[in-house]
Amino acid sequence: MRKIALVLALVLLASVSVFANGTAEAAGGAEKSFVPTRNVDWYVTSSPGGGSDIFTRTITDIAVKEDLINGKNFVIQYKTDGAGEVGRLLVSNIKAGVQADHTLLTFNSGDLMPMVKNTSNRFQNFQPIAHMAVDKHLIFIGESSKYTSAEEIIDALKHGERLVLGGSKGDDIACHAALIKELGITQDQLSYIAHDATSGAITAILGGHFDLLISKPAAASQYVEAGKLTPVLALSTSRFPGNLSGAPTLSELGYKNVEVPNWRSVVAPKNMSAAAVSYWSNVMKQVSETEAWQKGYIEKQKLVPDFMDTDTYRAYGMKFQADYLESIGKSE
Amino acid sequence: MENLEMLLMGFSVVLTFQNVMVTMLGAVLGLVVGAMPGIGSLAGVALLLPLTYKFNPTTAIIMLGALYYSNMYGGSFSAILLNIPGDSPAVMTALDGYPMATKRNRPGQALFTSNLSSFIGGFIGMVILTFMGPALAELGLKFGPAEMTSLLLVAMTSIGWLVGESPTKGVILTLVGILLATMGMDTLTGSPRYDFGNMYLLGGIPFIPFVIGAVGFSQVLKLMTERNKKVDVNLTQKLTIKGSMLTLHDVRRLVPPAIRSGFMGTFVGVLPGAGATTGAFLGYAAQKAFKSEKPLGSGAIEGIASCESANNAAAAGSFAPLLALGIPGSGTGAVLLGGLMMWGLNPGPLLFSSNPDFAWGLIASLFLANLLTLFISLGVIPFLIKILTVPVRILIPIITVVCVVGSYSTSNSMYGVIIMFLSGLFGYVLDRNGYGVAPMLLSFVLAPLLESNMRKAFIISNGGLGIFVDKPISAFLLLILLAIVVTPVVKFILRKVGTRKQ
Repeated sequence: MRKIALVLALVLLASVSVFANGTAEAAGGAEKSFVPTRNVDWYVTSSPGGGSDIFTRTITDIAVKEDLINGKNFVIQYKTDGAGEVGRLLVSNIKAGVQADHTLLTFNSGDLMPMVKNTSNRFQNFQPIAHMAVDKHLIFIGESSKYTSAEEIIDALKHGERLVLGGSKGDDIACHAALIKELGITQDQLSYIAHDATSGAITAILGGHFDLLISKPAAASQYVEAGKLTPVLALSTSRFPGNLSGAPTLSELGYKNVEVPNWRSVVAPKNMSAAAVSYWSNVMKQVSETEAWQKGYIEKQKLVPDFMDTDTYRAYGMKFQADYLESIGKSE
Repeated sequence: MENLEMLLMGFSVVLTFQNVMVTMLGAVLGLVVGAMPGIGSLAGVALLLPLTYKFNPTTAIIMLGALYYSNMYGGSFSAILLNIPGDSPAVMTALDGYPMATKRNRPGQALFTSNLSSFIGGFIGMVILTFMGPALAELGLKFGPAEMTSLLLVAMTSIGWLVGESPTKGVILTLVGILLATMGMDTLTGSPRYDFGNMYLLGGIPFIPFVIGAVGFSQVLKLMTERNKKVDVNLTQKLTIKGSMLTLHDVRRLVPPAIRSGFMGTFVGVLPGAGATTGAFLGYAAQKAFKSEKPLGSGAIEGIASCESANNAAAAGSFAPLLALGIPGSGTGAVLLGGLMMWGLNPGPLLFSSNPDFAWGLIASLFLANLLTLFISLGVIPFLIKILTVPVRILIPIITVVCVVGSYSTSNSMYGVIIMFLSGLFGYVLDRNGYGVAPMLLSFVLAPLLESNMRKAFIISNGGLGIFVDKPISAFLLLILLAIVVTPVVKFILRKVGTRKQ
């Protein structure tokens, strides 16, 4: 019985790798095909246990379990020096060769924004592999809030009331900027307090220290269920599902929708070979189609699945970078 | 009483063969990780977290909880024996622990004091966590930016007790600590400060390599200049547990500060963003306000007891917001929170009701880990103090290697090592010129917290100062601050008046 199982497993393994080879060749055209010949270094530029780590671990678990990478393994490298910039620079500088073909980097819009703001490293210094998912934002009120809806809040702001919005860094800040621009109010009317992580902002609003909270759905969902937070506004083009469906979008209130997506993606060194690029892009596509990804990650983290292949993602990322640079007055 | 029942249920979860074994494993690993300079609880938990992703969540958190907790014991070993803090809370332990081990020739008793007060502090913290966890977490929420600012200002005054003989030197180093802490990305707007175009400096100066250098490596440099001196520690006492026993008098000196710090540390642990390091610093500083038989800093049992008890209590206290509200009370708590998500749980206000076996199993495992760690660490005392008999010329390379490995492992890069060497040189120069590094380390820890809280408070109040007095907790803390600052002045004037009358 055991022998049969072993033989079956081997046949499966062989067919999967042949399949992977085949698609790589098909996509790579005349170029040589690529399969990993050693363990793959996957860089994560934030600490273990955070959002990027969970994203990466989920993909690597699925890819290994589904045997998508030729029986090799992933080695996750945490490079947090210089707020992550050192790790990103390191990956972007890897020279063409075996190392470049076996290196991946988790890259989010929350990484791109500080990178282009504070350093000269740019999106075009990386090889886009795949865009995997998008996270959007909502505005919440706490238990003791004197407002009950977005209408009341916007009305109060328009009548000169001063409110404070708390949230995390990166895309949350960009969201705040886009929101006040659309509402036609100033930074002083709706001030923003940036916390190191959303959990810090949630702590403060639970204690009633400011009026409004901006958060991605996953971080706040438990508190909504416990009745400690109430969603009042969806910063998206459509309402959120489940216990967040009570929050209207801005267009329902007579404004243009504000949406600053926090996307999660995978990139590689710029010098990765074309064959390896199409191989990895294909692996990510297969991961994104598994149930483990859709149910165990996307649904649980309340994300929007949004797979983009290399070329679509490159165009998207370049536009995102240009828009962001323009918004902070650093157009290139 | 309901909580007691739940705790007993927690024990029924923990007291399975597998879970007792992982608690033991966690406790031993925590001791080792804690004893190795540089790899503190944060790094220890972060390093092991990925290994536990495949565990059942209860088993995983029991192991990491035990590891986090026993870490607080291990950190003091190298602080006492080598004057190199094994983790950041142990910086304070070194202040009295090392003199007690060397100058007073009582290394065994110093370690015993540290272990026993760790146990007492931790036990107090866990009892409070069991019966008042959720209530305490709610109280912690009341500490918003304004309250935290006032509390940190009070904490900042405690630096005054650490400056030693020369206030001027103390103030200079406090300011240097604040200056160094401002390097890197600003916490509120993300603008780079003092990065001099260097990518590494963008992330600021990492605390652990900084401490290892300023305290540990500078010690190596000092030892190098004295390497030909005879080892002045002559261990007259036997290297056994018996020879390391505390006298009844010692225990009497130890218990009151340990109990005081236990309560205070638990509370500090619950506060958002504080944690074991702040707990230890405050515990030690508060002891300055009470009577100690020997002056603090000269190897006083009270000094070791106050900070060791406080840091263990804070470690236990930081579980209250984590479990009751899904909010991390410390950096290590934040890593554990990530772990909870990876293990498939939803940390948040519903954790206690939706996964009681998990939450109470964790609390029960802390009790078990506390007891196990006490026995293990008391048992290793005789072996540990043999370190003191190692000749200096052999010790120097060993400590250097430990310093390098420890500072490398915080971010897996040579950046930490460079920081360690530089701050070691700096610390050595300071030491040669009669500056103590403690005020610098304390202000380095507190300044970023103070800055971000104060700026947040000002955003909330739109720049007004009223926010600090309108809020009752904050106003009360400011009164304490005022009392601390004014008392010495009043005393001074009274003394002047008194002498004039004579």
